[in-house]
Amino acid sequence: MKSIFKNRKISAIVSVVPKEEYRFDDEYPIFKLTADKARRFKKMMSLDRHRIAPPNVCSSDLCQYGLQHLLNEGTLKKEEIGALIFVSQTPDYIMPPTSNVIQGKLGLGREMICLDINQGCSGFLLGLIQAFVLLEIAALPKVVLLNGDTCSKQTDKCNRISYPLTGDAGSVTVIERCEAENPIYMDVKNDGSRHKAIMIPAGGYRTPSTPETLKLREVEEGVVRNQEHVHMDGAAIFSFTMEDVPPQIDEILAFSGDTRESIEHFLFHQPNPFILKQMADKMKIPPEKLPNNVVSLYGNCSSATIPLNIALNCSEPLLRGSRRVCLSGFGVGLSWISMVMNLGPLDVCKIVDYEST
Amino acid sequence: MDKTEFYQRLAAILDIEEVKPENVLKDYDQWDSLAILSVLALADSQYGVTIRADEIRQVVTAADLATLIEAKRK
Repeated sequence: MKSIFKNRKISAIVSVVPKEEYRFDDEYPIFKLTADKARRFKKMMSLDRHRIAPPNVCSSDLCQYGLQHLLNEGTLKKEEIGALIFVSQTPDYIMPPTSNVIQGKLGLGREMICLDINQGCSGFLLGLIQAFVLLEIAALPKVVLLNGDTCSKQTDKCNRISYPLTGDAGSVTVIERCEAENPIYMDVKNDGSRHKAIMIPAGGYRTPSTPETLKLREVEEGVVRNQEHVHMDGAAIFSFTMEDVPPQIDEILAFSGDTRESIEHFLFHQPNPFILKQMADKMKIPPEKLPNNVVSLYGNCSSATIPLNIALNCSEPLLRGSRRVCLSGFGVGLSWISMVMNLGPLDVCKIVDYEST
Repeated sequence: MDKTEFYQRLAAILDIEEVKPENVLKDYDQWDSLAILSVLALADSQYGVTIRADEIRQVVTAADLATLIEAKRK
């Protein structure tokens, strides 16, 4: 599904990561890996380090910290916020919505919309679409998009494949109207018939939590999980990223009248370095245009990876001016969304470390 | 497709000297989900074929894998 948004822009991005950093070289004995297997895995996935939030820190805490940072800096004022969107798969509670909890904690005004969205890999782009739409009706001029996930809480610490690739992060993106037309091209696709490819099978209302669903099982050597942890069908996800995502990139470039040359940065979701490199090679996008370092340095933090990717790799050019970018998020759902836009100049584009207060 | 070359590439994924056609893949300690991912990537990048999840689960020997890739290339 294609569409174009006009007179909208992203004006600020703050990515928030826990200050607790763990290195694969120190952690691998937990996974009971031999030094040799650890070496192979490290090489294949370009593993180095990741950031993991302490047990008492939620996604909302990371996001709230980033939003407070922008308010303290004066880049954003409370009375400008017409909507607060929180995209996450690790909310504080089943009810109420976490966006309401954050609104209350920060003392934001009442004349605004609070909205939670359950989405992961494509969640930054789904959140942007929602923000662009809400700007049409919001009484106040800016929409704040929060993307946060503490994925480390959805995997067992001894799972030798999931855990080293996982990271926790939050992000705050400010979206506002602008006078320039600034067309933003988007393409959205979903295929719910493959929803089992990435899922947490139990703990919701279909299969409520019981002692049985919390029982850890070893599904292959060193891969330990229970029914309330993330289950991924690696082969199904691989064929999805190779067969479905590249044609969407071709479609969006054709739709926006761009080419691989005219796009300056391909800022994609970061599932893991191995799969992303395969995808980039298949699409014939040169590595220097497609950053692939987020998982090696921070871990895969679900919908927060794209803003983290932007802040990590493009803050300097985006603070200075505007760049032609292609964004793409793909995964859980299955859902895949891509956009082409002129991004920047941004008022703020940075990564901050979360400090517990 | 050059079968000798294919078995060499498979051996490299499994981090062993040599793979023979009759070798049963799951007998190898290294045949885990990461090795399967590497095989899918190899099929895609070197042979231009996409192997589906259910197809790779049916593969028993190294020769089965070679046959699967070869059949898909046609």
